[in-house]
Amino acid sequence: MTLSWKTRLHVWFRLLFLQASWNFERIQGLGFFYALLPGLKKLYSKDELLSVGQRCVGYFNTHPYLAPLVAGAVLKLEEERAAGHGDSGIDINEFKEMVAAPYAAIGDALFWGGLRPLVAGIALFFCVKGILWAPLVFLVLYNLVPMWFRIVFFQRGYRQGLRSIEFIQRHNLPDWAIHTKEAAVVVLGGLSAFMVFSHLNTQHLPEWLGLLTLIPMIVMGLIARKGVSTLWLITLTSLTIVLGGLFWADVVRLINL
Amino acid sequence: MAQVDASEKGERLIFVDLLLGAVVALICGLDRVAIFQIMVSRPIVAAPLAGLVLGDPLAGLQVGLLVELLWLARLPVGAAVPPDDTQVAIAATVMVIILGPMLNASGTELTLISLLVAIPLGKFGQFFDHYARHYNVRLARQIELAFEEGSIAMAEWQHLRGLISFSCAAVATYVVILLGGLLLIPFLWPLLHQPLSYSGDWLALALPLVGIAVILGTVNVSRAITLFCASFGMAFLLMWLV
Repeated sequence: MTLSWKTRLHVWFRLLFLQASWNFERIQGLGFFYALLPGLKKLYSKDELLSVGQRCVGYFNTHPYLAPLVAGAVLKLEEERAAGHGDSGIDINEFKEMVAAPYAAIGDALFWGGLRPLVAGIALFFCVKGILWAPLVFLVLYNLVPMWFRIVFFQRGYRQGLRSIEFIQRHNLPDWAIHTKEAAVVVLGGLSAFMVFSHLNTQHLPEWLGLLTLIPMIVMGLIARKGVSTLWLITLTSLTIVLGGLFWADVVRLINL
Repeated sequence: MAQVDASEKGERLIFVDLLLGAVVALICGLDRVAIFQIMVSRPIVAAPLAGLVLGDPLAGLQVGLLVELLWLARLPVGAAVPPDDTQVAIAATVMVIILGPMLNASGTELTLISLLVAIPLGKFGQFFDHYARHYNVRLARQIELAFEEGSIAMAEWQHLRGLISFSCAAVATYVVILLGGLLLIPFLWPLLHQPLSYSGDWLALALPLVGIAVILGTVNVSRAITLFCASFGMAFLLMWLV
């Protein structure tokens, strides 16, 4: 039995709620079962569904944008199993466990570590200029890629089942993650320069001073690498700037006297 | 009489503003982890959205600009729970819009004071988020019970019940930050207004730069500092010399 496109669409839509019951014991396990349920209902009788459900709600943790690929493949495997062709030599839970962690690592690096800072950097250019469309620029630019992954990868997963692993391997996503991070660093460099330059112009200060900004930024980056929290860095920077401002105000007052 | 009417209207509007802010906090808070994840929860979107709903999108845009990059380097990897920058951004925007007319203040100084109060209080978001995720462990037990009782519908419902925990965590964080801000800022404003007038613009520049520096330090790219310096230098020289 092949699942209809309506059922698959229903499963895909439910995958948007994958993390609704995120918990420290099963992570996305309950959500994965919830998403697959419309498909499982078509494949199994009610009694069978209860035992399949118990099997499905175990630990599951992957990246939410790559979960559709796993869900599509699992749906295909369940379909084959229900039809009595489940002789691929691998248990469905084993397959889930096998792919979840690598997909999570790929997704974290590509989307959270690369794409998000990259698009945020681009949108912040608009933000600095006071353009109210900046949030929309962020939303549109950011969601283009994850939505493509969510839609196309779900279809691929369902079409290819176990072979969906080859599909993801072909795309060299870890390499793309590194390229995206590099692009993000470049964009953030340009954004920093733009903010510093605009600020110096507003304050009527010599532009060359801006190049000195690199020193505290690199020092703070190295401190952050040592594990010092952002909150401490903000506190330290804020105190330094506020006290520096007060000191400078006193100096100016003394000079004027 | 007219003054009483104006005051009553003001109080009602503040209440409405707080409530509208809570609705934005709820929607964006759910997008953060529980549903969709289309990034409406990012400060660059959530803060202007709160501002738009409350009638001052530019105030939200300024808050979004200052907060967006601060914790961008803290990835929600595995079971890690980053500080709740969504609620920090929304609550700070609501504070700016509500306290502006009350304190007869506007501009960067008020935004900065709101943020300097909201950012540490954002740690409560981590606590509430942790609690919601711990609470949701019970849902796994409930699902197993539902299977034993033979009820698939009940098992389905348990998953959706998780949304209640995440909603409560989001709104609780918003309320704590907002209450803290509304109680502290009227006292801090007379003390910090003057010092911030000397250094506010510098601080507004420094906050995003701190966020970028943290990203630079934690991003897993071998040539990050080289790429950053080259990009910074090139862009700066282009703006300066051309």
